[in-house]
Amino acid sequence: MELLSGLINNYYYFVAIILFVIGTHTMLTHSNMIKKVIAMNIMDASVFLLFVAIGYVHGGRPPIIAGNEEVLYVNPLPGALILTGIVVAVSVTAYALSLIVKIHRTYGTVDCDEICKIRGDE
Amino acid sequence: MRITARLVAPFIQLYGIYVIVNGHLSPGGGFSGGAIFGSSLVLVAISFNLEAGAKQISHHTASLLESGGVLGFTLTGLAAVFFGGNYLANRAAGFPLGQAGEFFSAGAIWIITIFIGIKVASTITTLFYNIIEKEQTVGATKRTDK
Amino acid sequence: MVLSEQLPALIVISPLICAFLSPLLYRRHARASAYLVLLSLLLSLIMAAALLIKVQRTGPLFYQMGSWPPPWGIEYVADPLRVYMLLVVVAVSLWIFIYAIKDLEHELRDEVIGWYYTLYSLLVASMAAMTLTNDLFNLFVLMEICAITSCAIITIKEDRECLEAGFKYLVLSAMGTGCFLLGVAMLYMVTGHLNFGFLQEELSTAVLNYPLNVFTAAALFIVAFGTKAALFPLHVWLPDAHASAPSPSSAMLSGLVIKIYAFSLFIIFYRVFPRSLLDSLPLSEIVLWLAAFGVMFGSIYAMLQTDLKKMLAYSSIGQIAFIFLGIGLDQRLALVGGLYHIAVHAITKAMLFMAAGTIIYATGVRKISDLAGIGRVMPLVMVAFTIGSASMIGIPGTGGLISKWYLALGALESGRSLFVLVILLSSLLNAIYYMPIVINSFMSQEDFGHGVKEVPKVLQSALVIGMVFVALTGIFSRPLILLLEEQMALFF
Repeated sequence: MELLSGLINNYYYFVAIILFVIGTHTMLTHSNMIKKVIAMNIMDASVFLLFVAIGYVHGGRPPIIAGNEEVLYVNPLPGALILTGIVVAVSVTAYALSLIVKIHRTYGTVDCDEICKIRGDE
Repeated sequence: MRITARLVAPFIQLYGIYVIVNGHLSPGGGFSGGAIFGSSLVLVAISFNLEAGAKQISHHTASLLESGGVLGFTLTGLAAVFFGGNYLANRAAGFPLGQAGEFFSAGAIWIITIFIGIKVASTITTLFYNIIEKEQTVGATKRTDK
Repeated sequence: MVLSEQLPALIVISPLICAFLSPLLYRRHARASAYLVLLSLLLSLIMAAALLIKVQRTGPLFYQMGSWPPPWGIEYVADPLRVYMLLVVVAVSLWIFIYAIKDLEHELRDEVIGWYYTLYSLLVASMAAMTLTNDLFNLFVLMEICAITSCAIITIKEDRECLEAGFKYLVLSAMGTGCFLLGVAMLYMVTGHLNFGFLQEELSTAVLNYPLNVFTAAALFIVAFGTKAALFPLHVWLPDAHASAPSPSSAMLSGLVIKIYAFSLFIIFYRVFPRSLLDSLPLSEIVLWLAAFGVMFGSIYAMLQTDLKKMLAYSSIGQIAFIFLGIGLDQRLALVGGLYHIAVHAITKAMLFMAAGTIIYATGVRKISDLAGIGRVMPLVMVAFTIGSASMIGIPGTGGLISKWYLALGALESGRSLFVLVILLSSLLNAIYYMPIVINSFMSQEDFGHGVKEVPKVLQSALVIGMVFVALTGIFSRPLILLLEEQMALFF
């Protein structure tokens, strides 16, 4: 029961871990290359979600200074880290997609099992 | 679609420049603002043909701006070394800090943000041109075969 | 601005600036951009040597990026161990680039050679920064730059095998990065720090309060770095990727890229995790057994190969497992052996791949069975291959013996003599698949059946430099071993 109440209170973390497992499993088992790239994005997004959820302070405001009051701010450091992480994930996705375009032009398919068959026949 | 793209593109570019330039005052900054600006150029190239897009910013200029953006960023960091701090130092290197909330404040941050914005916008257009130009040459050869 | 204090940043900036100047220059004058990259790598090498002298004299140098002190800023640390790794990275990259200038014209299309220089410089900059960094998130960003550029220098060749192998490498590498970032999130959740020094202090108390987070983070780090450094069950991307890439890329990948991840795992084990965690969890045991299997299976798979570069790639899997064997034995002498093996294997495997690349450049032959009698028509290349094989086997006079000796000593001192048997068996297996090539090429009855092109002077001089390096690491190994032994005494 304690475990269940812990899970329901911290549902951000729980959802992030479930998304991570879904992303990793899809990336390793499905044979369509575009599905692998989408799964990689889901996996990265789940880790970003976990990071941002760590930085949340209950009752905090967005960390932008407007005036000189003493306000409780949400931790801005994870947000800055994730901005960098998102850019990195976008670059890897762009590169992976351009690779898939080239592979499709060479092999005629984006399915990994068919490519293995073509390579095996050579 | 063409009329809408023609009308809306300058507003998108203005919004992109606004997001870049207010990077140190409100959410946004170099990456998102550069993406918005780059998307407007890609929008013009998609809705019209490629030559109209090339008139806005040619492939050669985009590649130049790409290298120039990163070089500007790196050299700003090196300038901080010459002024006395470590690499990419801000206050320690003597960049002028103003009032928090004004535009010309926070030392080197707005310079770096503008360079990042230029770089991201030119990268998006260069990526787009590379993919489209390959498609056109490959499509042309396919048609002549058949 | 005192120049010697700014060295850690300047060593990384020099290839970075060159990477972005090179495309601008390549349009005008193709040769000039090659010389620019050469100049920037040479500058980095001189600065790295100066940094080593300074750090040995005055102690570790802590460099704060942006003049923000940790924990707010990113910190770079230069102590003798990290600068040793930095020197290995920059020196071997410079040497491989001398080979690459000539060889690339044969393997790639002319338009993309300028982009190859950019990717190469970015790869060197990211690896140099990975040796120096003291911050977990900075390590993540540099790991990603390294992954994308190392994958791009494979697929820039645009062959059928290159594209498929490059995609496989990219997907597995992205999985490793996702696991690494999740581990960083776990550690950040319980300590709130990302700097290695602060993490180590905080973790000694955090392990008692939140043990599961730290255990998960440790497991995720082993998976992440194991995937990227080709530890035994996670090595499946390596043979295709290293065999189908252009030869300078193969030399760079097999020689440097997989080692930098093993080095980062070593730094994380000993600088981030507190000693209590290493004693309570069997982390080193897991790495040790995986490494032992990797040593055996790498050699066994290599015996069954018919393609020259694929055999060298499988041999890399076995040799990188030696470094993990050193980390896993968790003992001072074994660590000295493992870390020295980084330098030895980088030089030797780069030279072997360059020899294979020269054979392919001059004759177009890739299968081992076609190499009979080639020693009589290309003597210099085959002598280089022989010396490289001798170092892989561990013959006295080459660097391979020194690292295996220290590994065996460490295994004996920690009471695990089984691993001495593993090391000896793997040396025997290495001999089984390297020696036939050497003997066949010099003393076979048949003559070499294919045409031989003239080998340019640049490629020959690169191989000669390699042979000199291998002899130096074997005979004059004392200064580096003393440096490593002093540094390891600080950890234990």
